[in-house]
Amino acid sequence: MPAIALLFLRLWPTSLRWVLTWLTGLLICTAVAQNNANRYNESNNETVVAWRRMIEQARPQTTDEKLQAVNQFFNRRLHFTSDQAAWGVDDYWATPLEFMLQGQGDCEDFAIAKYVSLLVLGIPSDRLRLIYVRARFGSINSGSSEAHMVLGYYADPAGEPMILDNLLNSIRPAASRPDLSPVFSFNSQGLWVPGSSKPAASDPTVRLSRWRNLLDRLSSEGLKL
Amino acid sequence: MKSARPESDSMTLAKQIWLAIALIMTLAFGTSLVINVYSARHYLEQQLQVKNLDNANALALSLSQIEKNPATVELMVAAQFDIGHYRFIRITTPGGKTLLEKSYSDGLEGPPQWFVRLFPIHTTPGQAQIQDGWKQYGTLTLASHDQYAYKSLWDGTLQLLRWFMIGCLLAGTLGTVLVRWLTRPLLDVVAQARALAERRFQTVDEPSTPELRAVTRAMNDMVGRIRTMFTEEAQRLELLRYRVNHDAVTGLANREYFLSHLREILDGEQYGASGSLLMIRLTDLNQLNEKLGHQRADALLKSLGELLKDGWEQRAGRLKGGEFALVCPGQESAAEAAQVLHARLVSEWLPQWQAECPELFHLAAVQYELHQTLTDLLSRVDQALAQAQSKGPNNWHAPENSLARVVIPAEQWRALLNDALGRNDRLSLAFSPVLACRTGRLLHREARLRLQTEGSAELLTTGNFLPMAAKLHLSAPLDLMAVRLALSALDQGTDDVAVRLSAESLSDFSFHQGLETLLRPKPALCRRLLLLVTEYGVSRQREAFSQLALRLKAMGCKVGINVYGQHLINSDHLASLGMDFIQVDPAYVRGISANSGNQEFLHGLCSMTHPLGIAVIASGVERAEELELLARLGLDGATGPGINAAAQR
Repeated sequence: MPAIALLFLRLWPTSLRWVLTWLTGLLICTAVAQNNANRYNESNNETVVAWRRMIEQARPQTTDEKLQAVNQFFNRRLHFTSDQAAWGVDDYWATPLEFMLQGQGDCEDFAIAKYVSLLVLGIPSDRLRLIYVRARFGSINSGSSEAHMVLGYYADPAGEPMILDNLLNSIRPAASRPDLSPVFSFNSQGLWVPGSSKPAASDPTVRLSRWRNLLDRLSSEGLKL
Repeated sequence: MKSARPESDSMTLAKQIWLAIALIMTLAFGTSLVINVYSARHYLEQQLQVKNLDNANALALSLSQIEKNPATVELMVAAQFDIGHYRFIRITTPGGKTLLEKSYSDGLEGPPQWFVRLFPIHTTPGQAQIQDGWKQYGTLTLASHDQYAYKSLWDGTLQLLRWFMIGCLLAGTLGTVLVRWLTRPLLDVVAQARALAERRFQTVDEPSTPELRAVTRAMNDMVGRIRTMFTEEAQRLELLRYRVNHDAVTGLANREYFLSHLREILDGEQYGASGSLLMIRLTDLNQLNEKLGHQRADALLKSLGELLKDGWEQRAGRLKGGEFALVCPGQESAAEAAQVLHARLVSEWLPQWQAECPELFHLAAVQYELHQTLTDLLSRVDQALAQAQSKGPNNWHAPENSLARVVIPAEQWRALLNDALGRNDRLSLAFSPVLACRTGRLLHREARLRLQTEGSAELLTTGNFLPMAAKLHLSAPLDLMAVRLALSALDQGTDDVAVRLSAESLSDFSFHQGLETLLRPKPALCRRLLLLVTEYGVSRQREAFSQLALRLKAMGCKVGINVYGQHLINSDHLASLGMDFIQVDPAYVRGISANSGNQEFLHGLCSMTHPLGIAVIASGVERAEELELLARLGLDGATGPGINAAAQR
């Protein structure tokens, strides 16, 4: 018994030091998390600054003008390329911030950036859909088709959407896009309750879904939607 | 005397260790239960969440691809719902109207409600969009059934509980064994401490545990020192007692001691109803001294002393220079006693001296019986000596039994005693008070059996029938009867009562059993009961006595030694017996005011026994005035004829 007590006493400073280190680590982590908070507002990158200006200007405008502004901003300012070229991986879903800092991205990056920007501008998420489409190039019967993603805006929930596509600068109704055939659509409804920011690392399954992972990264970049 | 807290108030070490184990186990279980339930719940929530999301998306994807015929859509949803594990699957139009809903209504045999309330599982349903071409067909919402999650959480908890029980049982058993093993040496130490508290000074084996070994060693040392001190004191006291009460030349009892003892035989209740007194008178001591010289004359006296003593210190005494006496309680035929002694004297002692002193002695013997006066007895033996002298040198004389006493034969005694034991009106108790020397207050009353015989108004005292009962092996039932009577006296009165037990009963283990059966149901009365055994009996049956004393003391009785003063003084047994009191042999108490030697002896005895917590009572006190002197000597209580008379006044 006395031996155990002695051992404990001798180890005590060690354990104390350990606890102190741990506490310090915790404090630093919290500070870093605090720093992460407003990365969209802090960046000095030209594109991000322009994006901020665009958002500010579009805020008081009508929905149509907002769609127009966002679509034009991304289609004109950023380059369309493959993920392989932009990120060095086969497929990477970038957050708008990453996309703007990188200056280039593929169709998903465009669609997502527009989706997020419109949410920032106050368009309700149930009007917006990220839509997987099959895109045909050339004539209708040419047969050369590719997987593509566009953003759809449903002014009428039961009606046809307006399509925001990075391949076309103008926003057109879906009916006038015979080159695209929709496969599946999704948005962040049911995944991401706006306003509630769950602690990011609380659920490891988030990392396993590309979409949920992206939403999680958005939240950690401090985008309040 | 001692005010140890009752055991029920405080917890023993073993109990405390048990409590600690139980506490730690409960804490461990509680913690592991909470951790387990929370982590399991978290895991289950995650799984359900992922399943909800994935299944919603998979189903929505399939539905997006097909033709939106209501029947087909319903069929697909139904198929998914029926095969899968869902709480509900719902499709709502973009406008918010419910198109289709399937939900599970049957409950599962699940955990109790309180458990569900205590650990709720929160999951959100999965949502996905169904596309119909460019148009939105609707929103698919589904939730997996979470009842199974509750069930698995509950089962997990039960399983943990089961394992915990097994663990608890295992730890408990192991703990018990360990505690037993650890505390075994401790129990020995505790037993020694208890024995010390009960004034039994014993040493125990040293345990192997170093801490306890130190304690035990210290206690053993202390016990050893106390016993050494006691033994030294006892040896000193024994020397004093011997010197005061014995003749320096022969080693026989001196006149006072012998006569005091003889008085006790005649008046007390210890000895038989009758016996013989023998007296030897040397013809002329002065002449012997002249003839043999001082040294040889002493040698002659000494050899006579040796022969007379023969193991019985108190039985033989040197009354005057050339006058020796021998008392044989129970020997009813004086002539026979004289004959035997004469034969021994003539064969063993006389031949050495006869050449020089042909006319050496006369021998006389008379019969005595209880309550005869000493002077009467002494004058009768004097007459008998004169008659022996007239018969010629070295002769003996014993007058025929002059006493008109009816002698009852043994078989008749047996019938008489058995009859008395079978009835409840023949045996009764007579009480004599024992007073505190210092205050004169009543300490307790000493009870003696009285026997009423048929056709006689007189009650027989114990001296009349106990020696006979011992011969007939009836001591134990008589003792039990005395205790039974004492218990009813205790029940009716308020005084404490002392009862004498026979030495013969000690070795009878059915007597031990009977005594316990009698006393066990009456613990309140036991505390007021004192039991006495003669020193002679204790010294013969020490093992049996110490066992009986332990049992009696465990029941709350006080135990003491009676007629103390010969066999046990010069030993340390008294220190290990745990006695409550001793009652001093009346032979040392009679005429105490005139006997400064015995005063010193009694004082020494008190200072020796008081540190052991043993009270000393003087018996055979003849005058109530002596109480003050006895108190000064340190005696605690006194009893005897003088005290009886004082109490009656």
